[in-house]
Amino acid sequence: MKRFLGVLFGISILFLVIFFIDKRFNSYYREIFSIIGINIILVTSLNISNGFTGLFSLGHAGFMAVGAYTSALLDLPLDKKAMLLPNLPYWLGHISLPFLLSVIMAGFMAAFFAVLVGYPVLRLKGHYLSVATLGFMVIVRVVINNTPNLTRGAIGINNIPNYTNIWWVYFWVVITVYALWRIINSSYGRAFLAIREDHIAASLSGVNLTKYKILSFAIGAFFAGVAGALWAHQITAITPRAFSFVTTFNIVVMLVIGGMGSISGSIVSAFLLTLLPELMRPLEEGMVLFGYQLPQLYGLTQLIMATLLILVMIFRPKGLMGDRELSLKGILGQKSS
Amino acid sequence: MKKIFVLALALVFAFSLVAFSEDVVRLGAINNLTGAQASIDVPTYNGMKLAVKLANEKGGVLGKKIKLFGVDAKTDQTAAANGTRKLIDVDKVVAIAGFSDTDYALAAGAVAQKAGIPFVTSGATHPEIPKRVGDFMFMAAFGDNVQAYAGAEFAYKKLGAKKAWLLKDSAMEYTMTLAKYMKERFEKVGGKILLEDTYQTGDTDYSSQIARLKNLKEKPDVLFVAAGPDDCGLIVKQLREAGIFTPVIGGDGFDTPLLVELAGPKFANNVFFTTHISYGNKSKVVQNFINAYKKEYGHEPESAFAALGFDAIGLIINAIGRANSLDPKAIRDALATTKGYQGVTGNISYKPGDRVPTKSVTIIRVKDGKFLFEAEVLPQ
Amino acid sequence: MFSLPYVLQQFINAIILGSIYALVAIGLSMVYGILRLINFAHGDILMIGAYTGLFLLTLYKAPFAIVLIVPMLVGGLIGVIVERVAYRPLRKAPEVALLITSLAVSMFIENLAIMVLSPRPRRFRIPSFLSKSHFYGAINFRNIDILIVILTVVLVVVLTLFVKKTKIGIAMRATAESINTSYLMGINVNNIIMLTFAIGSLLAGVAGMMFASKYGRIEPFMGFLPGLKAFVASVIGGIGSLPGAVMGGYLLGFAEIFFVGFLPPQLSGYRDGFVFLLLIIVLLIRPSGIFGQAEKREV
Repeated sequence: MKRFLGVLFGISILFLVIFFIDKRFNSYYREIFSIIGINIILVTSLNISNGFTGLFSLGHAGFMAVGAYTSALLDLPLDKKAMLLPNLPYWLGHISLPFLLSVIMAGFMAAFFAVLVGYPVLRLKGHYLSVATLGFMVIVRVVINNTPNLTRGAIGINNIPNYTNIWWVYFWVVITVYALWRIINSSYGRAFLAIREDHIAASLSGVNLTKYKILSFAIGAFFAGVAGALWAHQITAITPRAFSFVTTFNIVVMLVIGGMGSISGSIVSAFLLTLLPELMRPLEEGMVLFGYQLPQLYGLTQLIMATLLILVMIFRPKGLMGDRELSLKGILGQKSS
Repeated sequence: MKKIFVLALALVFAFSLVAFSEDVVRLGAINNLTGAQASIDVPTYNGMKLAVKLANEKGGVLGKKIKLFGVDAKTDQTAAANGTRKLIDVDKVVAIAGFSDTDYALAAGAVAQKAGIPFVTSGATHPEIPKRVGDFMFMAAFGDNVQAYAGAEFAYKKLGAKKAWLLKDSAMEYTMTLAKYMKERFEKVGGKILLEDTYQTGDTDYSSQIARLKNLKEKPDVLFVAAGPDDCGLIVKQLREAGIFTPVIGGDGFDTPLLVELAGPKFANNVFFTTHISYGNKSKVVQNFINAYKKEYGHEPESAFAALGFDAIGLIINAIGRANSLDPKAIRDALATTKGYQGVTGNISYKPGDRVPTKSVTIIRVKDGKFLFEAEVLPQ
Repeated sequence: MFSLPYVLQQFINAIILGSIYALVAIGLSMVYGILRLINFAHGDILMIGAYTGLFLLTLYKAPFAIVLIVPMLVGGLIGVIVERVAYRPLRKAPEVALLITSLAVSMFIENLAIMVLSPRPRRFRIPSFLSKSHFYGAINFRNIDILIVILTVVLVVVLTLFVKKTKIGIAMRATAESINTSYLMGINVNNIIMLTFAIGSLLAGVAGMMFASKYGRIEPFMGFLPGLKAFVASVIGGIGSLPGAVMGGYLLGFAEIFFVGFLPPQLSGYRDGFVFLLLIIVLLIRPSGIFGQAEKREV
């Protein structure tokens, strides 16, 4: 009961904050907060496989792409569909689902792919698993590029309705974080942790390795698909190029900086690492500081970000949070151990 | 942890509170100044800055100075959309110019369209961009269909080519569109495509495709190469090194000093391409632009994109003058009725309801490392 | 369907491309073997090597032999600096931290290069005797191609001998086996790791020179794809193993060229997908690559 109240309290606070942002901020800051939310979903969901289960996947952008394309194909208005994609199979060309449904379908599609890929690939270990999942991402991109009837190939799909807004995003953030939280603190979560710590011991204690690995991978993929769908309806134009190494690496960097195995760490780092580059924009655009016009130095943001990353890794190699979680007590200044 | 939060929040407010008191005309420029597209977009941005500088020297527009806000889209669609929002919401610009690539123009254009701010894409050439984004989206360049038709017809009629080989970059929207229209027109006028081969952006080795070209039973009379600026020189070089000296025809992606620089003057001979402008053109507008560019940046314009960037901003300033207003809607209406605007890349007019300009296509012949004017084609 | 000269030409193309991949992969694989680090900055050191070569050739008009040596040294030096500044403080940190650091180093070098050198690609001109083409009927290749193949073979042989026969080489292998045990055996582990980095980066520098000489174009991002491909190559071959890296490099070269060359052109677009599919299949059959030993550690 107490915990339920706590959750309710947290959600109401979030509701108020979003309400404030929605009403008082201009659309630039609103959209940044949406992107932050999408990144939170991506990073926390990656945390399930990479952080909690110890399966270091680099394929997250691939699942994002699957989600983005699935949802776009499902909920494009019929007239746009007929114009952009005249060669779709009949049933697909003649449906236009509501947003909520298409996002859920996007998640399931991504999860389906995760099971399909995970079954063979999750037998691999360490860096071999990483590179195989990276390979999955490349394959997704190549297939999208080469099936113009379904995806318009390199040209991409645009005119996707701009359904995503800050409310939708944080609705999904709450669901994601809550679902992941419950999973981690269930017997499933303990099985994941057991696999991470020692897969042989876990297997000996009766944990079905294949089942739990695939499950963990698929849960992560589901939310990556959701995030991809939200992203697609935020940017409204998607191309295969958008789901690249850079995208995957960005998510991985946020995850590691936040701390693998810490949900709150993921949230904090998604927040900071999305916001910082935006805040540094005026710096490289040549701002006026104390009456001096600073020179334009494009690329400076990336330099500073890279330096910051190296410093964080040197001084906090386990990320900002390690595998601990932020708690209310901790924020209020009391040491929580 | 707490400190970082406080610091971040403080920063947010600090930046959102920067006051805007100057009385200037605010224009936005969004380009990929870093990342893979940078080599194309940096000249564009230079052209834009130059346009604003020259306009201000003449007293600005509506009696006010013009201030250009430059944003980097980092060759990333999310950053393109976010950057456009920043221009509109934070910098309060009344019109935006930018991008030489359709992907980013579409992502940014959608934001501007929704906000009701006119967006002129300087160098993106997909003919359907304005139709796909909406009535606030304009192009400063001709569509790919127009230049591809000009190139294909030139090959068939002027070079007398009947059989062709076609190579395209399958990972780029621009090259796919260009290749599609080249093929369509070449076959329509009676030519035959012997083989259509592909590569992908980032490839540096075309030996496999070239070997296949050499293995063709019938020899092509012309090679259509739909490639981006960074790749075209390398493709020509490798073709020539393999002993193939057949004429090559490309699109405006070839209009870069890199073509001759990478391929070398000898190998770049017998290359033709369609583009927006010939810097060898002796007209006063073009020469003035080249001189001003040299004076500002210390070297000649790197590519046609510099001139297109210059013209995109020029179009906007011209429209603001005619609208006699800083209302984005009025600027849009004025833009839509642009007639015979004398840009560096030619006369620009928009037909009613069409926001792709009717412009002539210049065909360039490369000879001994020089871009020579070969023909000017007015599309039908 | 395919004429003999055509098959031969594609075969030659594959050997040349494979040599380049192998050259990049050896350095990457050496570093991995000792630190279990996928060094994303490897490709950027390759880029620095290429730019060093460019400046020597254009500004100082240096002879090509010298131009071959200096980028190696510069590459090695940068490798040592990167190791000292960014990687050594992380010796006790989780492997992921190292991975992210190497990503950050790569990001740093690339963006610095953009700011200092401009993003514009540049021409890399080599002496005319190297770019001379040989034609035998429909088959052709250039002197630089021969140089690349020979250099790769020579370097692989020298390196293999070095690792197998010399004291330092043995110390390197011991360190790769177990850092702690080597330390107890009286090996100066830090020096060995630094040396490995120096040699790995030296190879990256020379690979950069060769890459630039062959294709004649250099740019700040030029190292990314070769770095990634080399990574794939060394994983296929068994990462950490020298013969594995070479084998993987050639396998990748052949796979890419033959995929494009002997399948219908409509499929060319699937090449990168095919390369990674091949990788996944190899890994499923041999989970540690062709020459690899089973991993004892995990990420």
